Amino acid sequence: MNGMPLYVQGLWACSVLAQLAVLALLVLKGNFRKLPFFATYVCLNICQAALIYVMIAYWHPAKGSSTEQIVSWVSEAATLVVQALATTEVLRLVLKPYRGVWGLTWRVLLGISTVVVFFVFLDAVQNVDWAIVVAERGYHLIFATAVIACLLFIRYYAVVVARAYKWLLAGFCFYSCTIILINTVVQVIWYRNNPYTEHLWQVVTLLSFTVVQVVWAAALWKALPVDLPRHNIDSDSLYLSVSPIINQQLRRLNEKLMRLWKLEARPH
Amino acid sequence: MSSVLLVMGFVGVLLLVVLVWVLRDPRKLNKPDDDLASNEEWGQRHVAYFPQVRQAIDRKDFEFLALRGLPKLTKRVRKERRRIALAYLACIRADFLKLWRLARVIAAMSPQVGAAEEFARLRMGLAFSLRYEIIRIKFFFGIAPLPELGSLSEVVSRLSIRLETAMKNLGESAALASKLTSTLHDGRGLDTP
Repeated sequence: MNGMPLYVQGLWACSVLAQLAVLALLVLKGNFRKLPFFATYVCLNICQAALIYVMIAYWHPAKGSSTEQIVSWVSEAATLVVQALATTEVLRLVLKPYRGVWGLTWRVLLGISTVVVFFVFLDAVQNVDWAIVVAERGYHLIFATAVIACLLFIRYYAVVVARAYKWLLAGFCFYSCTIILINTVVQVIWYRNNPYTEHLWQVVTLLSFTVVQVVWAAALWKALPVDLPRHNIDSDSLYLSVSPIINQQLRRLNEKLMRLWKLEARPH
Repeated sequence: MSSVLLVMGFVGVLLLVVLVWVLRDPRKLNKPDDDLASNEEWGQRHVAYFPQVRQAIDRKDFEFLALRGLPKLTKRVRKERRRIALAYLACIRADFLKLWRLARVIAAMSPQVGAAEEFARLRMGLAFSLRYEIIRIKFFFGIAPLPELGSLSEVVSRLSIRLETAMKNLGESAALASKLTSTLHDGRGLDTP
């Protein structure tokens, strides 16, 4: 199949099977109702694999031709957009009861993403020949940074997260991190015109993707937890009254510590 | 290989490491004495022992022993009392961390969280940890900044009182919310057999 080695084909088949298993679990356990974007993302991935298979097996486009490039990258772009929506969906489910924390989180995410976009732009300007690879890596960089920032917030505020949601987010993030590493390593090897680069890229990408699918299948094995009503404290007044006091006291404490720091050594 | 690729590779590895760290079960990291709810000494802060600690590391005691011509005893007493002071400092830090965590819980339960307040608290928490370590090192090397230690204890004590009031309010709010939910459920017939 278009010069693709057997082991790559086997790995591809495994990844498709794993995706089908995830989709089956989403449907059978009724989780697709709660995670519609995530279900769409899994469907899109399966459709993308089918499209690429049909293209390679029946259309026989020349390797590296514009048709192949357009079909591959356009379908990839669509998948990435839905991936972002699916992740936001999971995050919203996790942080929905914590209105204040969610409000703070999305603002911080916006700031972080803007900074990362700036660095990705700088990277892209230096690598016009690698524009698509750089763009994909940039996307995954923004994505992974944002998800990790959210997970850090969740940990900092000790928000209780259902295991399934945690593993879904971890899967997305792990895959993005591996894509960043793979694209970087491939770019380095390709400069040396290594003949095995393409196969290496395919194997590692498919392997990490399959691992993520297996983790997701395990996470979705049980039905997702039912949302329980959670009560916030009745008004903003408590936070608004307590928070400045705490900060003022902490500031004073730090000032005291600063004075201690500046003290000269005194022998007994 | 360009520097950008090096940075990207480093960032990729770093993100993976942070991901693994973030995913660790926080319950495994919490020591039993870190539990806010189970802290039986919630009302009794370690700062209450400041007068005793001050007495323990007062220079007059050491000077008295030195004048009596007991250098070995002076050295031993100083060493032991320094250990007490270090333990006291560690307890103050524990108090501070408990209060800090309580502030975080209040923020998590609030419908509105101020970004500026949260960042300021995060920054100050980091600064506190850093300075605490510096003071600990100073104590370790035999420097005893007593007046400042007293002020430090006083601040923790004041913070504790404020937060206890806040916690009381929080408890009342939670009780009210629970009562409201119960009433609503009764109204819908959910709790009836």
